[in-house]
Amino acid sequence: MSNAKERKHAKKMRNQPTNVTLSSGFVPDRGEKHLNGGGKPFRAQKLDPSSGTSRQQQAKMAHYPPPRPDVNEQSSSKVMFRKKGGWKAGPEGTSQEIPKYITASTFAQARAAEISAMLKAVTQKSSNSLVFQTLPRHMRRRAMSHNVKRLPRRLQEIAQKEAEKVVHQKKEHSKNKCHKARRCHINRMLEFNRRQKKNRWLETHIWHAKRFHMVKQWGYCLGERPTVKSHRACYRAMTHRCLLQDLSYYCCLELKGKEEEILKALSPMCSIDTGLTFAAVHCLSGKRQGSLLLYRAHQYPRGMLGPVSFIWKPERTPGDTSESRQLWIWLHPTLKQDILEEIKAACQCIEPVESTTCIPDPLLAPAQEKSQAKLPDEKIGKKRKRKDDGENAKPVKKFMGDGTRAAHELRSWSSSTTGIVISDLTMEINRFRLIGPLSHAILTEALQAAAVHTEGEDTENTPHRWWTETCKNPDSVSLHHRQEAVFDLLGGITSPAEIPAGTILGLTVGDPRINLPQKRSKVLPNPEKCQDNEEVRQLRLEGVPVECAHSFIWSQAICKSVTENKMSDQVTNGVRVVGKVMKTGRFFQIYRGARVGGLKETVVHSQYKRSPSIPGDFPDCSAGILFAEEQAKNLLEKYKRRPPAKRPNYVKLGTLAPFCLPWEQLTRDWESRVRAQEELSGASSPSGGESDSRDQAPCAPTPGQAAQGSGGGGTALHDSSEPEGAMDTECPAQAGTEQVPGQDARGQLLCVLRSRASLKQLSAWCRPSPGDSRAAARRAPGRGQQELTAEARRSLLARFPRALVWVSLSLPGKGSPEPHAMICVPAQEDLLQLRRDRLYCGPQEPKHSDPFKSQIRKQKERQTREKRRRGKGYQHLASAVRCCAPSGRVRVHAVISVPHPGSPKEDALEDVLLPLCRWPGLW
Amino acid sequence: MAENREHRAAIEAELDPVEYTLRKRLPHRLPRRPNDIYVNMKTDFKAQLVRCQKLLDGGARGQNACTEIYIHGLGLAINRAINIALQLQAGSFGSLQVAANTSTVELVDDLEPETDAREPLTRIRNNSAIHIRVFRVTPK
Repeated sequence: MSNAKERKHAKKMRNQPTNVTLSSGFVPDRGEKHLNGGGKPFRAQKLDPSSGTSRQQQAKMAHYPPPRPDVNEQSSSKVMFRKKGGWKAGPEGTSQEIPKYITASTFAQARAAEISAMLKAVTQKSSNSLVFQTLPRHMRRRAMSHNVKRLPRRLQEIAQKEAEKVVHQKKEHSKNKCHKARRCHINRMLEFNRRQKKNRWLETHIWHAKRFHMVKQWGYCLGERPTVKSHRACYRAMTHRCLLQDLSYYCCLELKGKEEEILKALSPMCSIDTGLTFAAVHCLSGKRQGSLLLYRAHQYPRGMLGPVSFIWKPERTPGDTSESRQLWIWLHPTLKQDILEEIKAACQCIEPVESTTCIPDPLLAPAQEKSQAKLPDEKIGKKRKRKDDGENAKPVKKFMGDGTRAAHELRSWSSSTTGIVISDLTMEINRFRLIGPLSHAILTEALQAAAVHTEGEDTENTPHRWWTETCKNPDSVSLHHRQEAVFDLLGGITSPAEIPAGTILGLTVGDPRINLPQKRSKVLPNPEKCQDNEEVRQLRLEGVPVECAHSFIWSQAICKSVTENKMSDQVTNGVRVVGKVMKTGRFFQIYRGARVGGLKETVVHSQYKRSPSIPGDFPDCSAGILFAEEQAKNLLEKYKRRPPAKRPNYVKLGTLAPFCLPWEQLTRDWESRVRAQEELSGASSPSGGESDSRDQAPCAPTPGQAAQGSGGGGTALHDSSEPEGAMDTECPAQAGTEQVPGQDARGQLLCVLRSRASLKQLSAWCRPSPGDSRAAARRAPGRGQQELTAEARRSLLARFPRALVWVSLSLPGKGSPEPHAMICVPAQEDLLQLRRDRLYCGPQEPKHSDPFKSQIRKQKERQTREKRRRGKGYQHLASAVRCCAPSGRVRVHAVISVPHPGSPKEDALEDVLLPLCRWPGLW
Repeated sequence: MAENREHRAAIEAELDPVEYTLRKRLPHRLPRRPNDIYVNMKTDFKAQLVRCQKLLDGGARGQNACTEIYIHGLGLAINRAINIALQLQAGSFGSLQVAANTSTVELVDDLEPETDAREPLTRIRNNSAIHIRVFRVTPK
């Protein structure tokens, strides 16, 4: 009897009551057994000449002596089945099994047991489906699960029970309140506050939650991407129209104190090597927004903290250094903890300051709102706007604290030695980013400068006392008018790229809800506004004058009063019956034709900008490491969800780390390679390196690259990777000693090369010099560039022993690299091949054997039924990263952000300072 | 003109590549009509030609056809703009005429300081541009 048959039988018997045994043809011996145990009447059968096989007879003989009464009952039922089976089986054994007589009592007893078992089986629901689901389809009716009475009567009882069970399982809904009470404003606010205890909402949360896929990230609820299919639309909005993002989740740290003290405290945290610092003249005057990279104090180039942007409050009287200054540092929430700690340490701010802003007075008075907007224009096609039109609708329910800080935690620290006060303004100020050429037009349409109060007006009962006070001062009024004029001019500028990057314009605007259009409309640039007169030219050249950067947003008292005295929405709606506008009208820009993007758009935008996105592209700061871990976990999970046959076998494909970027391991591997090479060829290596780069130079214009499965790598990559590789292979002794593992904990950490001078030099080395005469001429003299010598390399390597460099890739052929793809240094023959054949798409990676698979196969043979888990294999493999592929090509891992097909090409960036943008790594 | 040159020389003299980095801004853009075509060097020549041709031809039955289009080229793209215009004319069997205008466009360069003590500067530089009007004439 085969196994399969037995299993089939077992399956059949599974749902049978225990005392009923269904015997089918395949258990003839047992059936016969019982049959014969049936009792005396069967004895006669033995004599029957036509009785079955010899085996049967044997069995009969064996079982004959002990006739048990309990078997009896079963046997009688068996008879029937057996008969049937026998009949089915054929002529064999048909007649001889019919008993001569039966005992009525035992027979009836047996039947009764059977029937009761069957009844039990019928009433007992074996599957865990609802009653409704057990009904055949044609008997189902609408709303049966809702109303029990619609079910057939026989099932109603069971359904009733089920329904009760479900009710018990359901969470206790707030039944104490009716729908109307629940919708009532106060209760709703309470509920909202409860729901955002863990992950803070932005003010635009409700608006976003209706339209976006929300994610809980960094202690906030943030919109990740629109629910509508809109990738392309967002891209178009960025390039041709306007894309709006709510960046209110960015954290703001405020430093107050004397200018020189602040600068002194912060100077160890940033390096002039990486760009301008806090002390840059144009930023210090408050005219522009600056951005820089923060490091732990005195630890540059290690101890990366993250990128920040900052604004100084414009000084009233230029040149007066004794004045107390204000500095706002804007940073990403993931970086906040580290940076705040570091800044506190740098400024020696340890004494907590009792915060007075926590308990705002519940003043509510309908009045015209004034709010300030700051417009620091950032880089090309990008613009920011800040607006402080209010925290929550009612100050009473103001929810203190934010995603990165608990409500009861301190928000302010001061220092007696330096006199600096640090306060945490996170979630105090809203911040929006508008990207795209139409952003100016939209801003000028949506916002209107506040009307100046004249003497004649009745201003007594307005809470915006500060504004009326300001309006009495002719200087401020004239300043306001100037700002207004500049703001009007902005509307005529067709692209934010036309005014200097980082420009700040302070402006007091009226309540934007007042002049909300009746209907959603699209703003088009007004040709009449686009005049090319002297004023516009001046604006384009110089940006906004320093005086105009002044704004009331810096004054906390005024901000607070504006927030608290904001006109309630009902009143606004009364002024202009706008029907169901968005809750507070903060998203007024939408009504002017801006599209709103989420987190995904932020990432995409930074890709278009070719700038690293926070925190994913900063592998040397802790936030970046965390992010990478999380991402690897998610990707692995996603990968494991597919059945093994339906997912790529990365072991076979030779992908070492498909989900994470093992920078740490690769730097270590390179190190060991370097050391090995060093030992092999001590003195001869520099010349080898030279020849290497010389060989590479002529091939440079024709890019040849074998990124795995992607058809090719780019010039930039190739150019920059080769010399670096050469540098590494001829790594001098001093660098080698510095990299001895365990010698220095800092030496173990990798860093990203951000020194502008070194990057420039590197790019100059990597330029295809002989082919491009223009490039050669450009960098010829006067640039102060060193020649590519062993000395220069050595010094660079000594300064940055374990550095990663960002490179930009351009593919000569089709295709684009995927994230987590590998970049390989091409071998000599690849380049030759490419020169011969322009369509040569790189060498093929040979198939790798999968040791885990064969192991598993062996295990299977050993009958241990262990499930195949290939995901696990990677972790083993990743720990044994081999640097050399079997084909002999040195491999370099790299992240590659996938460029959008419509993204701007790199030509525009070729001339600019940052030669190696985008950021795959290389050693 | 001479004065301008002097001015530029003065700026150049004060520039030190160690202290400043040059960053070019995009040219000033004017709002464009549907029949304005800005020629660039990035897009494929053929594609730009076809785009112009489509504008002139209009839809399936010639609806929405422009009677005239303006082809703008700046700097290096002047050559290409002329090429496109001439190609259009050559392929039209005499039904298209061209009229060219030249102009000078002011471009702004940003000079970003490398050191904290310096203010960012801007520099104005001129570049030539061409505006070619391609229009339909009734063939005689």
